[in-house]
Amino acid sequence: MQTKIKSERFIWIDIMITLLTLELMEYFYYGIRSVVLGCVCVGASLAAELISLRLMKRKFTADDLTCVSDALIIALMLPAAFDYKIAAIACVFAVVAAKNVFGGRLNMIFSPAAAAYVFIYTSWKSLLLMYPEPHTHTGIFEKAGSLVSSASHSFNINGKLSISDFELLMGNFCGPPGAVSVLLLSVAAIVLLFRRSISAGAFIGTVSATALLAYIVPAGVTKAGSVKYSIVMNMVLFAAIYIIADRRVAPKRGYFAFFYGFFLAAFAYIYTLTSAKENSIVLISLVFTPAALGFKNLEKHIENIRAEEAASELLQAQENADDTVTEEAAADEE
Amino acid sequence: MFMVIEFVVLLSSNLILMQALGTSTLFIAAGNKKNLLWTAITITIFTTLGSGAAYFIKNLLPSGIADLTLLFYVLIIGIIYVLLLAALYFAGGETFKKARKYVHLSAYNCAVMGTVITVAGRAETMPEYNHFMSFVSAGAEAGSGFILAAFILTAAYRKLNSSKVPAAFRGFPAMLIYLGLISMAVYALR
Amino acid sequence: MKNRKTSVFDGLVGDNTVLSSLMVISPVIMCGTDISNAIALIYAFSAITFFSVILGSFVPKKLPYAAKIIIYAVIASLVYIPVRTAAGMFFPEVIGRVGIYFPLLAVNSLIIVQSETKFYRMKRLPMIASLVFYILGFDAVMLITAFIRELLGSGTINGRVVDADTIISGLGMPFGGFIFLGLFCGLYRAVRSAVRREENEGGGDSDVHGN
Repeated sequence: MQTKIKSERFIWIDIMITLLTLELMEYFYYGIRSVVLGCVCVGASLAAELISLRLMKRKFTADDLTCVSDALIIALMLPAAFDYKIAAIACVFAVVAAKNVFGGRLNMIFSPAAAAYVFIYTSWKSLLLMYPEPHTHTGIFEKAGSLVSSASHSFNINGKLSISDFELLMGNFCGPPGAVSVLLLSVAAIVLLFRRSISAGAFIGTVSATALLAYIVPAGVTKAGSVKYSIVMNMVLFAAIYIIADRRVAPKRGYFAFFYGFFLAAFAYIYTLTSAKENSIVLISLVFTPAALGFKNLEKHIENIRAEEAASELLQAQENADDTVTEEAAADEE
Repeated sequence: MFMVIEFVVLLSSNLILMQALGTSTLFIAAGNKKNLLWTAITITIFTTLGSGAAYFIKNLLPSGIADLTLLFYVLIIGIIYVLLLAALYFAGGETFKKARKYVHLSAYNCAVMGTVITVAGRAETMPEYNHFMSFVSAGAEAGSGFILAAFILTAAYRKLNSSKVPAAFRGFPAMLIYLGLISMAVYALR
Repeated sequence: MKNRKTSVFDGLVGDNTVLSSLMVISPVIMCGTDISNAIALIYAFSAITFFSVILGSFVPKKLPYAAKIIIYAVIASLVYIPVRTAAGMFFPEVIGRVGIYFPLLAVNSLIIVQSETKFYRMKRLPMIASLVFYILGFDAVMLITAFIRELLGSGTINGRVVDADTIISGLGMPFGGFIFLGLFCGLYRAVRSAVRREENEGGGDSDVHGN
C-alpha cells in the first residue's frame, strides 16, 4: 500500500513537470496572460477540491493534488486569451461533476480534463475554437485582439498546411497552446513512458491507430504528410499522453489498454476525416469511457478467476501436505 | 468507414441520451443484468409493435377526431400488453411467472409511448417517412437505442454504486450525472 | 398523529416525486429549461394526474392488474383532451415547444404505477391529501429547475433578460438537465439525511411537539 501511494505521487510529479514545461512554452508564445489563466484554473480546481472533500468528510492529502494537474491540462487545451470565468467554471465542473460526485480519485470514471473540455465545447464553442496568433501577448485583463482558426481546422478542411517542420516541432502555429509544442510533447511522452507514469498500451495504441489509418486512408495530399499532420493536429498527441493514457482511466493491462487506445483513435480519425470536426479525439475519449470501464470490469473478472484458482491450488497443496504427514505418521507407527 | 457516422447518428437519436425517455426504467432494471436484458428486449418488442400499429392509427383515423389520437395509442399499447401477457401465459407457468413483471414494467413506459408519438409526429412533418416499414424500423431503432444505453450504464454500474461514491450521490444521482456526461459528449459530436 | 402527518407531506419533501422516487423525470430534464414551459407543464401534470387518479380510484380493485393499468391509462388519456384544449388557449406557444412531453404526462408513473402501489391502498381523504403533495412535489422541482436553468442557461427569468454575467448554454440542453437533476437529487438526499439524523438524535423532543 505504501509503495502504491508513493508511485501515485511520483506519477503526479512526473506529469506536473511535463505540464509545467508546456506551460513555460506557452508563456514564451503568449505572455503572462497564459500563466494567469493557468493559475486561475489551478486556483478554481483546488478550491473546488477542498470544498468537495470537506463535504465528503475526507481529508485533503497530497494525492488530491491531482486536481492541479487536471487544471493545468485544461488550461493547456484552452486558447491563451480565454475568459477566466469560463475556465474557472469548467475546472469546478471537472472536479465536482466529473470526479468527486463519483467518489473522487478513488473511483475515477471520466477524465476530468476531457469532461471540462467537452463542457466548454458544448456551451462556448465559438470562444473555444478561436486562438490568438503565436507571439501575440494579451494583457492580463484585456480581451484578445484578433483571433483566428487553428491550424487543425485548416488541415481538416483543406488537407494540407504550409507550416515548416521546424515550426511544427516548436509549436509556432495556431492552436491549443499545450497541444502544438510537438517536440516538447514527444519528449514528455518518452519520459512518461519510461517512468511508467502513463499507460504505454493506450498511448501506443492511439498513436499507431492514427498513423496506420492516416497512411491507409490519407487525410492529406501525401501519405507522409497525412501521417505527420494527423498525429500532430487535432490534439491527438496531447490527448494520447494526458487523457487517453491517463492511468486513472485507461485499462491496466497492456493489451487491453492498447486496444482501447487503438479503437478510440481509429474512431476519432475516421470521424475527423468525415466530419472535419476539430479536436474530436477529446470528445470521443469521453464517449469511449464505457469501453474503458468494460475493459476494467473484464480485468477484474480475470483477477477474480485467477484468485479463485490460486486459492483452490493452495487448498489442494495443503490437503496433499496433510495427507503426506498422515502417511508418514502411520509409517512411523508401523 | 461510414459505420462511424452511422454509430454517431444512432447515439444522437438515442431515446435515453437525447430525449430522456425510459430513464427511470433503465435505472431500476440496471441493478441486475438479467433484469436489464429482459426489460430492454420487452421494451424493444413494445416499441416495434406499437410503432407499427401507430402507422394504421395515424392513417386511418379521420382528421376530425385527431384529439383522440393519444387515446388510440393508449388502447393499442393496451392490446399489445394483453396479447403479450396471453402469449406468455400459454408459453407455460414458469415463463409467465418470471417474464410478466417485464411486461408490466414496459407497457406504459415513457420510452414506449414516447417512441410511438415521436414516430407518428415525424411522419406528419416528413411524408417520406409515412410508410409501414419506416414506422416499424423506427420503433426497432428506438428499442435498440434503449439496449445500447443499457450497455453504457451496465459498464459503470459497479462504480456508480460503489461505497466510495458519497452516500448522497450513490445510485440514481450518480447514474443521472454519468448519463448526462455521456449525453454531453454525444451532443458535441452531432 | 406523527405517522399520518409524515405520510401526507411525503410527496413534497420526504419522498419527493422526482428527487426521491425518480418519477416523471423526462419532462423535467427536457422541458425544464424555462419558466413558461414549466408553468404549462405544471398545469397539465397537476390537472391530468389529479383528476385521473381520483377517477381511477373508482375502478374495482378486484380486476386483474393489467386491466386496471389499461383503464387508468385510458382515463388519463380522456382527461388529457380537455386539459390539452385549455392549454392550447392559455399557453399556445409552449405546446409546440414542449412537443411529445405534453401528451406523455398522461401516462406518467404517478398515474400508472404509484396509484396502484400507494394511493389506492389508502382511504379517500388521506389519498387526496397525499396525491396533492405528490403533485406539488413535482411542481416544486419543475419550477426550481426551470428557474435555475433559465437564469444560468439563457440569462433570463420568465423571458425577461437579467444582467447575467456568464451564460452556460449547455444547461438548456438535455445533458444539462441530466447533470443538473443529478446534482439536485444528490443535494436533496444530503439535506434529507441530515434532517433525519437530527430528528433521530432529538427524537424525544420531536415526539413531545407532535411532529
